[in-house]
Amino acid sequence: MRIEKCYFCSGPVYPGHGTMFVRNDCKTFRFCKSKCLKNFKKKRNPRKTRWTKAFRKASGKELTVDNSLEFEKRRNIAVKYKRELWSKTVEAMMKVEGIKRKRQAQFILNRLKKGKQLQKAEDISEVKKNIHLIKAPHADKAKVMEEKMVQKLQEDVEMGDN
Amino acid sequence: MQYSISTSFMIPTWKRILSHPKPHTAFDLRQNTISRSSLAAGYRQAQQELTKAGPNMVLISRSFTGFLTQLSSLTHHNAFSVSAAAAAIQKMTRVRVVDNSPQGTTPWHRAPRVIHVYTKNGVGKVGDRVLLAIKGGKKKALIVGHKMPGERMNPRFDSNNVVLIEDNGNPTGTRIKVPLPTHLRKMEGEYSKLLAIASRFV
Repeated sequence: MRIEKCYFCSGPVYPGHGTMFVRNDCKTFRFCKSKCLKNFKKKRNPRKTRWTKAFRKASGKELTVDNSLEFEKRRNIAVKYKRELWSKTVEAMMKVEGIKRKRQAQFILNRLKKGKQLQKAEDISEVKKNIHLIKAPHADKAKVMEEKMVQKLQEDVEMGDN
Repeated sequence: MQYSISTSFMIPTWKRILSHPKPHTAFDLRQNTISRSSLAAGYRQAQQELTKAGPNMVLISRSFTGFLTQLSSLTHHNAFSVSAAAAAIQKMTRVRVVDNSPQGTTPWHRAPRVIHVYTKNGVGKVGDRVLLAIKGGKKKALIVGHKMPGERMNPRFDSNNVVLIEDNGNPTGTRIKVPLPTHLRKMEGEYSKLLAIASRFV
């Protein structure tokens, strides 16, 4: 038993699910559901259909190059059965799965940090542009003028004293 | 009108993973489907809450579904037609001979055609015998794949494939390079010689 990958969306095809199409060049295409099949028949390119994993990886929205993803690659060599190897592989699978998820999540988080920076810069520029809605343009002018006059009077008094 | 939809299921996956630093204790191969089913449960919950909220919300939801059906009808208009695979193999269907027999591989000005199907109804599926008109003569053949979608778990092929056969059921050719469907093995009939000369199964 093997959990295959859907050709269109790259999702898992469990046994008893989906359909398969064999082309005349002997290439087989598996589909997890009729949505993927229908899109395939419409000759849509999965690398351009935004909801597929192929698009997300091709446009850099998800982690592509990583050691933890090497474990998923299909090996066509038959391995002789050993009990310890079997049980250790299952344990390793659990660990690798956890690590892979964390790395993928971190990748997305880092990608979205840039957006927060841009948002902050935008907000600052917006406030600067529309400062007239918060504070009148010459609001502080009178106070500054008054302070200057007071300072000048003080200087005159000092001059007068001297 | 106060209504609240629980948004607990709308947390993106990457956020959910990073907020739960605890390692997974029980490994579940079906992790993907679990998250999807919890999403479905969340949507169902939201629907229930919508119906609870009262007649105003029901009206809005009805108009929403109407909008959705309009959308789906729009998409039907835009779908372009693909070549039809309406029926399996019957009389007068042109067929592709898939083994390396001389009768099947040498060129002829007319494609090999089915002139009789050996079933109760005249429709041939995988594993049925047919009579072909090939190179000015008649020859029996066995269907090994057709364009029409059959059972969901059996593969659909891009052409109507056929293997030439003698009257006693032995194949005429010596090799079949095109992939054969695996459900031929389970079928009743003597296909062992055919399966023996096949190089690939699908």
